[in-house]
Amino acid sequence: MSRYILRRLLMALPVVVGILLLTFLIQAVIPTDAVSAMYEGQVTEDEAAEAIAAMRERYGLDQPWYVQFVRYGANVLQGDFGESIRLRRPVSEEIGYRFVNTLTLTGVALLIGIGIGVPMGIISAAKKDTWLDVGAMTVGLLGISMPAFFFGLLLILVFAVWLMWIPVVPRGGAALLLPALTLGLIEAAPLSRIARSAMIEILRRDHIRAARSRGMGEFSVIMRHALPGTLLAVMTVIGLQFGNLLGGAFIIEVIFGWRGIGELGVKAIQWRDFALTQAIILISAGAHISANLLVDILYAWIDPRVDYDQ
Amino acid sequence: MPTRRSLLALSTLATSGLTATHARPAQAASAKELRYRLIEDPESLYSGQSVSLTVNTCLNFLHDRLVYIDAEGKPQPWLAESWSFSEDSRQITFKLRPGTKFHDGTDLDAAAVKFHFDTILDPKAASPVRGQIAALDSCDVLDLLTVRLSFSRPFAAAMILLASPTYGVNSPTAVQKAGRQYGRRPVGTGPFMFKSWSAGSEIVLVRNPRYRQLRPDAVNKGAPFADQITLSVLPEEGVAFSALQTGELSAAELQTDTVDRLRQDPRFAVVIDDKAKNLVFMEFSFRPPFDDRALRDAVSHAIDREAILRASYSGYGRINLNPLSSGIPGYDAAIGTQYGTPYDPEKAKALLAAAGWQPAAGGLRAKDGKPAKFAIRSYANPATDRALAVIQSNLAAVGIEVSVSTADWGTFYPSLLREGWDMTLNRWTYSDPLVMTNLFRPPGHRRNLPADEELTRLLTAVDSTLDPAERQKVVSESQKALLERRLILPILTSDQVTITQAGLQNYKFDYLNQILHGDVRMSDW
Repeated sequence: MSRYILRRLLMALPVVVGILLLTFLIQAVIPTDAVSAMYEGQVTEDEAAEAIAAMRERYGLDQPWYVQFVRYGANVLQGDFGESIRLRRPVSEEIGYRFVNTLTLTGVALLIGIGIGVPMGIISAAKKDTWLDVGAMTVGLLGISMPAFFFGLLLILVFAVWLMWIPVVPRGGAALLLPALTLGLIEAAPLSRIARSAMIEILRRDHIRAARSRGMGEFSVIMRHALPGTLLAVMTVIGLQFGNLLGGAFIIEVIFGWRGIGELGVKAIQWRDFALTQAIILISAGAHISANLLVDILYAWIDPRVDYDQ
Repeated sequence: MPTRRSLLALSTLATSGLTATHARPAQAASAKELRYRLIEDPESLYSGQSVSLTVNTCLNFLHDRLVYIDAEGKPQPWLAESWSFSEDSRQITFKLRPGTKFHDGTDLDAAAVKFHFDTILDPKAASPVRGQIAALDSCDVLDLLTVRLSFSRPFAAAMILLASPTYGVNSPTAVQKAGRQYGRRPVGTGPFMFKSWSAGSEIVLVRNPRYRQLRPDAVNKGAPFADQITLSVLPEEGVAFSALQTGELSAAELQTDTVDRLRQDPRFAVVIDDKAKNLVFMEFSFRPPFDDRALRDAVSHAIDREAILRASYSGYGRINLNPLSSGIPGYDAAIGTQYGTPYDPEKAKALLAAAGWQPAAGGLRAKDGKPAKFAIRSYANPATDRALAVIQSNLAAVGIEVSVSTADWGTFYPSLLREGWDMTLNRWTYSDPLVMTNLFRPPGHRRNLPADEELTRLLTAVDSTLDPAERQKVVSESQKALLERRLILPILTSDQVTITQAGLQNYKFDYLNQILHGDVRMSDW
């Protein structure tokens, strides 16, 4: 397993470098930078010519993109992500705690998604073609179809404005509740559908029929014999869905004012603040790769037949 | 080592526990606390290092300025008790009031003022504010309370700029102590002191107990009424709207289409800042056929400003025939009336026909076989999108077909330096008539205007004429010149609309659209 993990990590390196190269190429093509974006609708370039030149020189934006790329790569290898032009702060200071916040949000959302989606899928499969199944799948379809920003605002309206259970303006631990619920419930929808179809497929297999014929109760059949196989399918989807969760977090963080990298990422792109944008892309890519690796490891843990070293 | 089953049980337990959590109910702002909305998280609170309007809004709580602008648009003493101009108008000498203290207890003296302007001038600091006050050369201490600003040329906009929160003086001791972190720990002389900042979430400020308000137009001359201010970062309009309804915000600036939903509700009051200094306008590429004044004239008469105001800003604002916002000193309504281009589609059609643009197939006009098909560019924004739809419809009614494209500002604005557009819809916010010089002194801010000696002379005079009467004359002449040449198609100035809780008192905007925060209180305090 350790050799497999090492191999996967080494394979990730060219992916990360490729992503970085791509963002630098995009930066070279875009006809503006953080410096000119800073004066939006207030100060013309003529007025600010001297200040603009000084800023471009200070942040190395007057250099060709490949020089900036090499410099950036060398600095990143030393753990230096550069300084944000707009925030006037080292990128690492701004990104660190925000990344933890985003991971917390996506982690809790994932738990909500699994906790609601998987049982819902299992119940639907066990009660196939009943009103329970139709009801759960209709809710699931709604969840898949509902845009995250709309669902978020809907939850605010219900829980904060109508019921007044929680404040609209996020504060303390309660601040996590609505964004995590929004993301988690949306995530529960595809998970429930995958869990349902996987469970239905497994429940048709011979070993299930054999278990039932031995007189085993339906609950035990599902939990002991059908669930592990279902979880394998769910695990694969979770790995793929992690990217969706991160993408969803970008929108949800803006709506709920959750201080994650998503909220900052949206602004970094608007600001053309490439030091910030690149760091966020790097971290997101790293999180994506790590999540998929983790799923592969869990895969082997759940299914003893899987041995990556062979 | 957890088993597979225990892992599943744990995740279910965690999820159900979380969803069952009952957070505390929504609460109104606590006693003597005022809560306001910020549309975005400010990048930094380092006065003199940002030109952002959001940063300016925050700095207004923390910093008084050397001067303020009174209701007539004239500079008045604030932290400076007097000032004088040199013979050549290139130097302004300020005499500071004695006894002004920063929040950290240090003195605001001439050395502190010099320190502040030096941070703006320092090329290593690369401050964007340097671009705003590019004419400033140096700042010198003459004695303990006297400081002199020297400019490379007579700079007429100096006083208005110095009255902006961007020029609020920082405590040198605090700047040196905090180093790179100063933008997150600002120290000024204003009515509120910085307490904490949860980036992306909220900024908390507390009352400055030693504060004395020196402006005669303030209600409260002592320490602020509120003990604490919380600035909540709520970019999403729907969230801010909900927070007002639950009483979690004392006031919030909202988009005008949201405002109408709260206008009739007795729990709220609408505060309209009718001194807004923005201008929504159209420009022309000056490439053929828009090098023809007759075509620009016709297009200018075809645009229904009232319809744009209703569609984009729900009627909150004023249509404008002048190339200067009505909130800017020097705005001359008579010029707009005489030389402006009011909506008159029949006149537009007649002007087009006279210029050789005759009706052709499909109702579209054409000249020399070229159909009247043009491109408009603008920046992405809901109000802009609606304005563009009206413009498209107005021009179609006179036989001109336009394609519209929008992009975020960082893409849109630089794209105007290249070809591929005929007209733009733009919006600019500035406090001084100098905005005309910055945008339209040939070759113009997008390098597309033809050489024009007379216009260059007039707009240069706007930049450098300090005598108020003389300046008004050149500002009026410049408005006339821009309109006569049809260089700009002014459309409107939109109001800044704030919804407050009905009990919020003294929430009023001054000439530069700033609130005197020490005055603001709830009626039951």
